[in-house]
Amino acid sequence: MTNPKIITKVNSVMHQGFEIPLEKLTPEATLFTDLGLDSLDAVDMLVHLEENIGIKVDGEKLMSVRTLQDVYTLVDELSSQPGVEAKLEH
Amino acid sequence: MNTPPTSPQPHRGLGLALVTGSSSGIGRAIAVRLARDGFKVMVHYHQNAKGAEETLALIRDLEGALPPESLQFDVRNPEEIEKALEPYKDISILINNSGIHKDNLTGLMSNSAFDEVIKTNLYGPFYLMRWCVRQMMRHRRGCIVNVSSLAGQTGNPGQINYSASKAALIAMTKTLSFEVGSRGIRVNAVAPGLIETEMTESIPQVAEMVKRIPLQRMGTAQEVAGAVSFLCSKDASYITGHTLSVNGGMFPS
Ligand SMILES: NC(=O)c1ccc[n+]([C@@H]2O[C@H](COP(=O)([O-])OP(=O)(O)OC[C@H]3O[C@@H](n4cnc5c(N)ncnc54)[C@H](OP(=O)(O)O)[C@@H]3O)[C@@H](O)[C@H]2O)c1
Repeated sequence: MTNPKIITKVNSVMHQGFEIPLEKLTPEATLFTDLGLDSLDAVDMLVHLEENIGIKVDGEKLMSVRTLQDVYTLVDELSSQPGVEAKLEH
Repeated sequence: MNTPPTSPQPHRGLGLALVTGSSSGIGRAIAVRLARDGFKVMVHYHQNAKGAEETLALIRDLEGALPPESLQFDVRNPEEIEKALEPYKDISILINNSGIHKDNLTGLMSNSAFDEVIKTNLYGPFYLMRWCVRQMMRHRRGCIVNVSSLAGQTGNPGQINYSASKAALIAMTKTLSFEVGSRGIRVNAVAPGLIETEMTESIPQVAEMVKRIPLQRMGTAQEVAGAVSFLCSKDASYITGHTLSVNGGMFPS
């Protein structure tokens, strides 16, 4: 089970950063087809995740992500990085 | 400080410009020129703190120029770069000017001479462009100018490492311009020929070389800076992926 705080936070990044309507943000939604992102958006996502959640994502890992659930899982895995806990609270 | 500028400043309001290696030579001329154009300039150096101080003083003496900042890092070290640039995420202009040469005939060149030049002239600009495009993409604007060289366009005996690094810089310029054009970011290069700097003063065959230049003289750092300024200006708003030669006609392109 993914930490619900991570889901909320990632969804808010996707909503605010890419103007995707909240109702489209379901775990099984694929980033490139369902959500309409392109590969350049993945670069933006890397910056947004770093800024809003405080995680440093490896760009190559991010390119292997397919669905929103994959993003939740990736962020969950990385959430032990210093400072992330505090950012998830806001 | 608040006196009105004496010359028109077309770039004012366009933001923050980083000029790597602006502690001397061409980099200094570019930093001063961009400050005169109205950018807020970050003067960068690696070892020559005194040189950076002199560049800062030249900019502070310009009437109406925004107060410059100074930054130190080694372009070969991506962690150092990210740490130093952390406060400057609103960067809008990157000039990759830092560069070295360690010349020798191929048959005589050491591994370290090859490595050092590639690390400084090729890895350095890559690390900087990667960091900068991440920031620039969010703001949907940005301009990068890479300082390549005539040697990268034509090859040059004794510079197998240097010419490779400078040719690669042109290739990176083209590739990145394709990648980020849709985000309003332009990426161009300048390729200076023989420019009067401390570096070229020490070349014994300079007089001989000048005879082969159609304009019959060496270029100045200010002339390179003028080309960079143009590429950063609104006048160049439809130019990207291009390499502008500043060589007195040595290699018509
Ligand atoms: N002069 C020419 O005729 C000519 C012709 C074609 C192209 N170019 C190119 O124009 C650029 C500037 O040349 P220049 O003649 O003005 O050379 P320069 O006076 O020797 O300046 C080189 C600059 O690069 C910086 N630098 C060197 N290694 C570095 C490192 N590891 N990390 C960060 N910065 C580093 C130096 O910083 P510190 O001194 O502070 O350590 C210095 O500010 C270079 O890329 C060069 O290849 C020059």
